Amino acid sequence: MFYDEPRFLPGGDRFMVIEFGDELNLELNFRGQGLAQLIAENKLNGIIETAPFFASILLHYDPEIITFDELQVEMARLIASVTTLDDVELNSRLIYFPAVYLDPWSSEAIDQYIEKINPNKERDPAFIAKLNHLTDEAQFVRVHSGTEYWVAALGFWPGTPFMMPLDPRCRLFAPKYNPPRTFTYKGTIGMGGGATAIYPVDGPGGYQIFARTPVPIWDMKQRLQPFKAAPYLLRPTDRMKFIHCSLEEFAAIERQCEEGTYEMNVVGYQKISLKRYREWVATLDHTARF
Amino acid sequence: MLEVIKPGLETSIQDWPGRYGFLNVGFPWSGPMDAWSFRLANCLVGNAPGEAALECQFIGPTLKFHRATVIALTGAEMQGKLDGVPLPLWESIAVNAGATLEMRFAKTGARGYLAIAGGIQNEAFFGSRATFHKGGLGGMEGHAIKAGQTIPIGVGVSTAGRKVRLSARPPLVTDKCWQVEVVAGPNDDWIDAAGHARFLATDWKLSSKSDRGGFRLEGPEWTFTHRAHHKLPEHGSDPANIVDHGYPVGAINLAGQTPIILVNDGPSGGGFINPYTVPQCAFWKLGQSKPGETYRFNVISVVEAQSRARALTALCTESSIE
Repeated sequence: MFYDEPRFLPGGDRFMVIEFGDELNLELNFRGQGLAQLIAENKLNGIIETAPFFASILLHYDPEIITFDELQVEMARLIASVTTLDDVELNSRLIYFPAVYLDPWSSEAIDQYIEKINPNKERDPAFIAKLNHLTDEAQFVRVHSGTEYWVAALGFWPGTPFMMPLDPRCRLFAPKYNPPRTFTYKGTIGMGGGATAIYPVDGPGGYQIFARTPVPIWDMKQRLQPFKAAPYLLRPTDRMKFIHCSLEEFAAIERQCEEGTYEMNVVGYQKISLKRYREWVATLDHTARF
Repeated sequence: MLEVIKPGLETSIQDWPGRYGFLNVGFPWSGPMDAWSFRLANCLVGNAPGEAALECQFIGPTLKFHRATVIALTGAEMQGKLDGVPLPLWESIAVNAGATLEMRFAKTGARGYLAIAGGIQNEAFFGSRATFHKGGLGGMEGHAIKAGQTIPIGVGVSTAGRKVRLSARPPLVTDKCWQVEVVAGPNDDWIDAAGHARFLATDWKLSSKSDRGGFRLEGPEWTFTHRAHHKLPEHGSDPANIVDHGYPVGAINLAGQTPIILVNDGPSGGGFINPYTVPQCAFWKLGQSKPGETYRFNVISVVEAQSRARALTALCTESSIE
């Protein structure tokens, strides 16, 4: 749902959260990204940093320069100045990620969780397939990999993408682990709520997991060319497409990434228009699946 | 130059306010947890309040000075000795070249601060010298200090015997019970009236599963309003799930039924609600409390929280030195 008016919520003495709505929707994310861009362009005094998420934006402000109430007035004015997002076009890189679906590493992490933490946990791919009324794991894999993913935000851990499927026929939902998993391999692909993410490093996790990519999204050694400017790869407004690969290809690509010889497939000439996206979505049967 | 003989328990280089400006790529601020004691340590040795210094957690390090300088210890009482002679807290101290500073476990408080005239001069990463230990960035080689490392020190001008007046020092509690300020929101409307009353009437115990990323609290169950149970599936199925959103630093993040205060090295976003937020004026209390101690939360307004932060910053200046 889109709220009629944005909601301005306090986060302690130096944060404001602005919520535009409460669903995964490209337009809501455009609103957050657009506001972050406007704030940057207007160089608004007193705003130290912004972090747009799916349907909201987090503002870190300096109360010595601007009060919460003043900030709210200023933000309402900026938001109102954007009468339509129809003409907005955002540069959007498309990055191809080779991935092994139903991979042995996710399976190992799930086994470990079932053995040590929750014996009643259903295995993630079958569980998501059932919840989303899909025939089997194979269909789940087709549906999950059948769309481009929109990088709506980075967060949680440095460089970790929060992504949503752009094709409404590929929308899936999954609850998060409760309690969380204590171990997940780096590069594991998972989902929670309606969001998909990649784990940047080995570590605990709460998303349902079912695939793994050998290509890094975080590298402090900055070995591959797209990492030369920063140890993180992705930026909000990037898109990601998962390409099936074999275990042999996974091993070869992983080695190339470590040697710094892997040529990452980044496509850089495309723009996303919200108007054209909306027009396309309107032609689709949203109940259809691949 | 400062040689690390023993590292202590996760002793890290921090600066204040830390690595601002990168929440949108997921970098936490890092920085000292008790910025009150930290800033006064710097003031004592003539540094700017935010200069890089050491945060020593629970067990302090043993360090050897290769050059004469002036230092100050503040925050937790970690039984610091210079070549075997016990050192006072809250006072600048002259150190000779070759002297060894030995710190031990924290007798009162949890985090001790060591500032050195001229400040620590490790290489800055994305604009800050602060360490994000778990993330492997900033500080020395991305992590807490290790035995055998040499920490680069700047040249500063200072004198021994400068003291922080008593009234400007943080009042560490002795009964293990902390009164901690909170501001309601951003997601206070997800918790029902009984849930709020329970939150404010409970002595929440700080779990041992806590670190610079998150402080886990042990206490009663939470109860929710209608919206937490009736929402779109993209929120997730737990009542505390919300469409992934940005987390304020200090947010009391409700992971299912476990509240976790997201502190300096915490995640910048995720899919749980934040019913309350600890404002910066109370962060020093978090920094100085040990697992097993308790928090009682008191609600203050945004404006009141801002006024207390202002008062605290006014204390962390030369005016508090005598």
